Amino acid sequence: MSDSGYIMPVSTGSGKQMKNKIKVFRAMHDLTQEALANELGVTRQTVLAIEKGKYDPSLELAFKIARYFGVSIDEIFIYE
Amino acid sequence: MKQNTFYILAGIVGLIEVGLFYLSVQLSNPMLITVGFIAAVLLLYAAQRLITDRRVDERSALINQKAGMATFMVFWVIIFATSLGSAVIGLGAPSFPHPPTPKGELGVSNASIGVPDSIMGATHAARDIPDHGMIRLGYFGYMQLALLFLMFFSYVGFRVYYARKYGEWETDEE
Repeated sequence: MSDSGYIMPVSTGSGKQMKNKIKVFRAMHDLTQEALANELGVTRQTVLAIEKGKYDPSLELAFKIARYFGVSIDEIFIYE
Repeated sequence: MKQNTFYILAGIVGLIEVGLFYLSVQLSNPMLITVGFIAAVLLLYAAQRLITDRRVDERSALINQKAGMATFMVFWVIIFATSLGSAVIGLGAPSFPHPPTPKGELGVSNASIGVPDSIMGATHAARDIPDHGMIRLGYFGYMQLALLFLMFFSYVGFRVYYARKYGEWETDEE
């Protein structure tokens, strides 16, 4: 964990990758990326990068996302 | 302060620094640009804390961190290599004193102090040249500036690379 309190996304090298259902939950709540980003305190590019699997969020941000949608983390993020 | 206002301020400060450098050379006063540069950095550091519309989140912090680390990794290798080269030049320099000239002056070859003969005569008495050590230090400054520019452009390059990697310019299909 870094000084800023977030965990660096780490490639496991095992061929597995993190997938997520943020786009689905966002659609269910009728939210734009910009609106979700504002709620989470990040930029829209960050939400977009997470949705596209370009960036794995920190544990803190993952919890924020899960709590915002009122579900557990493993309902949104899938490690496969 | 808005982010764009900060960029304008940074541009103005940059132009002032160029002017200060020119003035410093004209007046042969190295302290002018040295103090001026430190003051400019402090001013910009203070100004960037006043930016209100900048949002730095964990992804952009990660991009900055990765780019900085990659730049550092490249830079220390280059600094080490050039320092080793400089050390070899220093160790290879003759350490014996020059033979005295008829009037008791030191005959100094311009080539030995890194000054081309086209600029000055073939040899000069020591009193004609201000300070050999300072001239060498000045040439060393050129190399340092070149390395710093290399560092800056390396950082920009790595910043672009990691920004692309972490989806900075991804298109949105919303």
